[in-house]
Amino acid sequence: MAKILVVDDSSTVRDEVAGFLQKNGLDVDTAVDGRDGLSKLKASPGIKLVISDVNMPNMDGLTMVEKIRGELANTAVNIIMLTTESSPAMKERGKAAGVKGWIVKPFKGEAVLETFRKLAG
Amino acid sequence: MISARAKESVERILRKAVQTRLPISSESDCVISAMATDTPVRHTHVVVLTISSMAFRLLLVLHFSESDAMRAYYLGERTDRALQEVFLEVSNLCCGAINQALQADFPDLGMSTPYVLDARCVPHLSELDPDYLASFEIRIGESVDLIATVCVCADAPIDFVADVDSAEESSGELELF
Repeated sequence: MAKILVVDDSSTVRDEVAGFLQKNGLDVDTAVDGRDGLSKLKASPGIKLVISDVNMPNMDGLTMVEKIRGELANTAVNIIMLTTESSPAMKERGKAAGVKGWIVKPFKGEAVLETFRKLAG
Repeated sequence: MISARAKESVERILRKAVQTRLPISSESDCVISAMATDTPVRHTHVVVLTISSMAFRLLLVLHFSESDAMRAYYLGERTDRALQEVFLEVSNLCCGAINQALQADFPDLGMSTPYVLDARCVPHLSELDPDYLASFEIRIGESVDLIATVCVCADAPIDFVADVDSAEESSGELELF
């Protein structure tokens, strides 16, 4: 069962992040936007960590977080945003919605691997 | 209206973003030189991104062609990937670096997602009546040839000095709440 869900509309980012985590022994699933991410999270209660972009079509990442906290309020899932967005206002919105952490792209896997392992454990 | 030092700041920010985000390896040489904005278009496509604030709208236009050199550099052995998809994300990172640098002076910024247009649209940028329009030739390694055009339309007087040398590089770090 997947423990980590990577949500990004860019297949390049999905491949890079999921590939890195899988290579390091973690179970990973991917989703192409917030709507897909929410649907996969509902279908897979074993997911413990969501790594998500902010700007995506159909449903953006922060709306997805707000829906997860609203519709899946009893699910213990950590959410990290991985995005080019770095504005304090955006981070505050994420924090208020229940985001655990924020990474400004580019993704540097080695710097966050151990923290991801703990959050997914 | 955009001041001379604000134009210089935008250029410094752009140069640093190009240097740090367009090469896929820090070992690749990246040479950037200013060029005339009315130089005939020589690439087939452009990636366009917009950064908007209350005071201005900035368009970053990255010119590219689907050449063998581009495929070899950006795809390497991953021939199952589409060059355009990979270059869209590289462009997104480049514009994200510009966005991050501008945020020190303009906290109200929003950035678009990247999209691809035919490069023949470039000469029409002047129709936007920009307050600042500049183009830069970019050569990465021995064979990758790109152009970056930056177009700024001001809705209010813009005057700032960007200090790109002392700006902290915090990208890739996890900020826990």
